[in-house]
Amino acid sequence: MKILFTSKQYVSLASVIIILIIWKALSLYFNSGFVVPSPEKTLITTLKLFTDDRFLLTVGTTILRSLTGFFISFLLGLLAGITAGINPYFDAFLRPVLVTIRSIPIISIILLALIWLTPGIVPVFIAMLTMFPFICTNVSDGIRSVDRDLVQMAKFYRVGKTRIVRDVYLPAIMPFIISGASSAMGIGWRAIITGEVLSHPKYGIGTLMQNAQTYLNVDAVIAWTIIAVVISYGFEKVIRWSERKLIVWRL
Amino acid sequence: MSLEIEGLYKRYGEVEIFRDFSISLAEGMITCILGPSGCGKTTFLNILGNIISPDSGIIKGIDGKVVSYIFQEPRLLPWKSVRGNIEFVLDRNMPPNERKNITDRFISLVGLEEFADYYPSKLSGGMRQRVSIARAFAYPSDIILMDEPLKGLDIKLKLNLIQTFSKIWQEYRRTVIFVTHDVDEALLLGSEIIVFSRAPVEIVTRHIVEIPFTGRSLDSDYLKNLEKELLSALGG
Repeated sequence: MKILFTSKQYVSLASVIIILIIWKALSLYFNSGFVVPSPEKTLITTLKLFTDDRFLLTVGTTILRSLTGFFISFLLGLLAGITAGINPYFDAFLRPVLVTIRSIPIISIILLALIWLTPGIVPVFIAMLTMFPFICTNVSDGIRSVDRDLVQMAKFYRVGKTRIVRDVYLPAIMPFIISGASSAMGIGWRAIITGEVLSHPKYGIGTLMQNAQTYLNVDAVIAWTIIAVVISYGFEKVIRWSERKLIVWRL
Repeated sequence: MSLEIEGLYKRYGEVEIFRDFSISLAEGMITCILGPSGCGKTTFLNILGNIISPDSGIIKGIDGKVVSYIFQEPRLLPWKSVRGNIEFVLDRNMPPNERKNITDRFISLVGLEEFADYYPSKLSGGMRQRVSIARAFAYPSDIILMDEPLKGLDIKLKLNLIQTFSKIWQEYRRTVIFVTHDVDEALLLGSEIIVFSRAPVEIVTRHIVEIPFTGRSLDSDYLKNLEKELLSALGG
């Protein structure tokens, strides 16, 4: 088991090295920092970004936006999802809404949001709309998957309603909530940065990415991308960590 | 004392399960109800447990009685340990240490002390059904309704669970109504065995088993003869 695990890690490491080699080869081939900057130069640019006094403000603002979007859509999704899971009529009502939201290109939402809202709010609004369907669908699927026999057992033993919700329903939908949160965060985070690039709020990773692109600072665009990827990875880690804390019984 | 059912009627669409059905069930005993599958045994339990209401009929002696259940599947909450599953059905107003004492007592009666903190996914099928037996006894009930709880278990496990059950029952007597289609189970566990016919249900025969649980062996002449009678009653 252990050997398998480390050998898998070796393969992952090899994959990263191959990406770096291809990157380096491309930068040598084009021989221009304006097209493909070298990996080492990009690394230096990335490290320089950390020392910028507005770095924390920029990254913090974008993270705050995504968390705001996440929590709003999480609450709305939880409410709508539970209602849809319990009430088939509300589910029928909600279904076309979700399908519509899902199939609208993100860029259309951004363009409309740019007209309707102030730049700082646009990314939050976009995150909310992209995240909401994931949370909502997962929660309502979770509710429907709750074992009726367990609910019946609890009722036979005259367990109170509050405790049926807390001890039967909630733990049963927890895995669904976690996986919904994970997909939502993955999609929402990318949507937030896209929103920032186009709405250009005062602070934001997307704003600085777009600035860098305007001045052909390709290394800075890539550097911000790397930072965005690392933060997204961090979110995923936090979600997986809470999964292990919340769903001990499955292991 | 006994539970009396008089003039029971219940139908599902065109199917008449009970038509003017009357029966009396001894309290503080284990009554086994045998019958072909689909004859309405489960419906009968559900009526006794007040889970479904009859179309008409009088049920005496059950008002205010507390009922616990042992289902065909153990029905344990996967996210709660053995202890948590038993505590789950106990009264919230009970002081926590009393709740713990009751839980621990019944966990040890079913022989799962070492597994008290295990989640159900870590237990075997027989062990899970033990938890469900412990839960039914830990719950302060007057009546235990059992719906084929041994179905699908192998014969060794069945005997094992029957032993555990009768041991606990002798110490914490309840009125038990045990529904099954397996004659051996009824012979080993029943104080009284009642055979139901196909729907609309009638009582084909009823027998009081006069040997105490501890001395019962399926090889004894008494149980062999009784088995023959029951089988022919079921076949008829």
